[in-house]
Amino acid sequence: MYIVDYKKFDVINGKGLRHSLFTSGCTHHCKGCFNAATWNFEYGTLYTQELEDRIIADLNMPDVRIAGLSILGGEPFQNVEGLLSLTSRVRSECPGKDIWIWSGYTFEEIVSEPAKLELLSRCDVLIDGKFVLEQRNLKLKWRGSENQRVLDVKKSLREEKAVLLS
Amino acid sequence: MLVIKRDGSEVAFNQQKIIDAICAAMNSTEKKEDMELAHKLADKVTRKITKLEKVDIEHIQDEVQSALMNSRRKDVAEAYIGYREVRNLKRRERSSLDKKVLGLLELTNEEVLKENSNKDGATIPTQRDLLAGIMAKDFAQTYMIPKRVVEAHNKGDLHFHDQDYSPYFPIYNCMLIDLKGMLENGFKLGNAQIETPKSITTATAITAQIIAQVASHIYGGNTINEIDIILAPYVLESFKKHYRRGLEWLYMLDVSEIEELDISWENAELHEKYPRCLEYAKKLTEKETFDAFQSLEYEINTLVSANGQTPFSTFGFGRGQSWAERQIQISILQNRIRGLGRDGKTAIFPKLIFAMEDGVNLRPGDPNYDIKQLALKCSTLRMYPDVISVPKVEEITGSFKFPMGCRSFLGVYVENGKELHDGRFNMGVVTANLPRIAIRAKGSEEQFYRLLDELLEVCKEGLLYRIERLKGVKAKVAPILYMEGAAGSRLQAEDTIDHLLENGRASISLGYIGIHETMMALYGKSLFEDEELRRKGLQIVQYLSAKTAQWKEETGYGFSLYSTPAESLCYRFCKLDEEKFGVIPGVTDKGYYTNSFHLDVNKKVTPFEKIEFEQPYPKYANGGFITYCEFDSLVNNPEALEAVWDYAYERVPYFGTNTPTDKCLECGYEGEFAATNNGFQCPNCGNRNPKTSSVIRRCCGYLSEPSQRPFNVGKQKEVLSRVKHM
Repeated sequence: MYIVDYKKFDVINGKGLRHSLFTSGCTHHCKGCFNAATWNFEYGTLYTQELEDRIIADLNMPDVRIAGLSILGGEPFQNVEGLLSLTSRVRSECPGKDIWIWSGYTFEEIVSEPAKLELLSRCDVLIDGKFVLEQRNLKLKWRGSENQRVLDVKKSLREEKAVLLS
Repeated sequence: MLVIKRDGSEVAFNQQKIIDAICAAMNSTEKKEDMELAHKLADKVTRKITKLEKVDIEHIQDEVQSALMNSRRKDVAEAYIGYREVRNLKRRERSSLDKKVLGLLELTNEEVLKENSNKDGATIPTQRDLLAGIMAKDFAQTYMIPKRVVEAHNKGDLHFHDQDYSPYFPIYNCMLIDLKGMLENGFKLGNAQIETPKSITTATAITAQIIAQVASHIYGGNTINEIDIILAPYVLESFKKHYRRGLEWLYMLDVSEIEELDISWENAELHEKYPRCLEYAKKLTEKETFDAFQSLEYEINTLVSANGQTPFSTFGFGRGQSWAERQIQISILQNRIRGLGRDGKTAIFPKLIFAMEDGVNLRPGDPNYDIKQLALKCSTLRMYPDVISVPKVEEITGSFKFPMGCRSFLGVYVENGKELHDGRFNMGVVTANLPRIAIRAKGSEEQFYRLLDELLEVCKEGLLYRIERLKGVKAKVAPILYMEGAAGSRLQAEDTIDHLLENGRASISLGYIGIHETMMALYGKSLFEDEELRRKGLQIVQYLSAKTAQWKEETGYGFSLYSTPAESLCYRFCKLDEEKFGVIPGVTDKGYYTNSFHLDVNKKVTPFEKIEFEQPYPKYANGGFITYCEFDSLVNNPEALEAVWDYAYERVPYFGTNTPTDKCLECGYEGEFAATNNGFQCPNCGNRNPKTSSVIRRCCGYLSEPSQRPFNVGKQKEVLSRVKHM
């Protein structure tokens, strides 16, 4: 897996102070994509064990209250394999930290594929749906266009339908 | 023989003029006139120049000077030289003075018009103030401030601040208004005798009047220290008033019956008996408090002091835990969140500072944790409040108090066995240009400290003059301060204010600028990356701090070290140094010097690294400090801001966040407008009309609206260089 960037102390992507990982590669090719260079699956740098260890350590830093990890793209759900280890480690090694994940797939599309569902089930919040330029609105929280949704993953999985984060 | 005058015209030589000049000089000495000698010397000069066809006036004066020097009357020579210097100075000043006045008239004098981003130089009252400022400064430089200090100021070795007001006027810088004493004891304002208010509405109305008056008698900022605690009694007065009405109308009690009752917030027995009355009075008081603080905010933002500007006013609050104190805190924050006017624009004044304290409001479960949440929301939307860490301020300055104005902190002072804060003030600032002496030291640390010692002697002379100017001043020059209680005293008109200046009751501050550039100039690299250089940077501030402590010891006056905000100074010093020493990479090439101990604004670091970097300094610069971080819009994410506030709470005494709080009045977008060559633009809808844009940036400790009134060149460069720390 390649990554576009690993950004510490992100305040834009998700609630609270977070660290964000941007994975490389995306086949959605939304019109008006803010970073088309990241469509390439070999863009950026190779994801390594060292980086994974660092992310875990950064999430647990003692002096600063970090809310959790945000995973953005590219399209994270086209890098499921690469993210399984990291997300499972966050779950077991970073108690109290949540995971937010962004995807061009909808919740319904993700749960219909076992591998994608596996990744989703480790996350707390999903921002789903393609970016639609015609529905772009900068006033929205955590998302770029009106069609996208901010979903409570646990509730959505329990109720087997998309439930908005309250 | 012809004499060439200064304006280039030529006149016939006349020896009598030389005799007159010598006699004038003789008459200003103790030994007075010696006509015979005057004639003899004039003859001598005439003989020397008589062969020339044309002679310059300056040349004749040089000859007179040397003839006097070689005569037995050295005292006359001295007087003559002094007289010549003053005349020269006045002549030079006169022409530059005219230029400045003309520049004001034609609105071309950018330096004067944009020196203070809080002044709208286009309006007539402000122009009157600026004109007075030009004259006051000129007069002070020519006749008042010690010559060595004037010279150092004009060359840019140091900056003697606020010469447009002081020392021409015996006026001081910033203060904590003793609002409590004024309200409790009454005072005279203009033609009216004001008694203790009977409601929060009246109390805030009077507070606005006091602030306006005080702001017209000082040149720096004023602060209401713990406004929540000071004004709480008047919230309780309003409560009583509403309670009485409730008893009358809800329970149909007679006025005589009501008068016999002990109505107070604490009287639980009464509330049990009249529960609807309690609810009624509570609701109405909460609404009244909200409205009262709304009026106060409007009044402060619409006031123009006699200084031609909105008063630099600050409210400090957060420690009060009673119902009334909480209502005040909530009202201040909710009003600020709501904004001014139909469009809900961000209020520029007063500056708000929220005190954070463990056990009061810091953590979930603390009694005022809800108010901290409100403060966070307010800060993401309106940039204020900044926050103060109660334990760090106590640790660093010796006791708890809010800053006077934007960042000037007082030390400990005890009067009648009690620590006193309200009514105290700062007598003024002189700031040392550290990068300049670092450039002149050419990499030699030893030389740097030698030059620093020399410079500090001149700074000290300037500061001592500031004190001297205030000594012997009579209370009547500023009745609001000295006779009616704002400075915590009730003096008689002819009393002097000397005792208010002494024993550290008032502070007097040495300022400094550009630790970052100083280190660049001395060692060729930034101190951020290098442990050793960090230590050396701190060492300079420690050295300055020790100097002020020594001066305090010597004189008994409250000398302190102050981290100068440098709104226009950041530009002035750098420009002068660039003219003098050329473009030096990392030092004079940016168009501004960095504030005090602050990290280079262009350095890309996390807010935690910045806080950690600046953390050691306030302990030494304890007469004034603040730490800032730059953020992306946090409107959607107060939780993130809280994590940063909590981190800062443990480390720095005083912390502010710069976060974009721009608002597009066309599409409703809230966030950051893009700075372009022709103004600011909304990223959502592309709007660039200043009339429908609210763009707010921090300039020094206060906020400004650069979309309406542009910054000075240096400040604009500094603002454009700011990088986000997240």
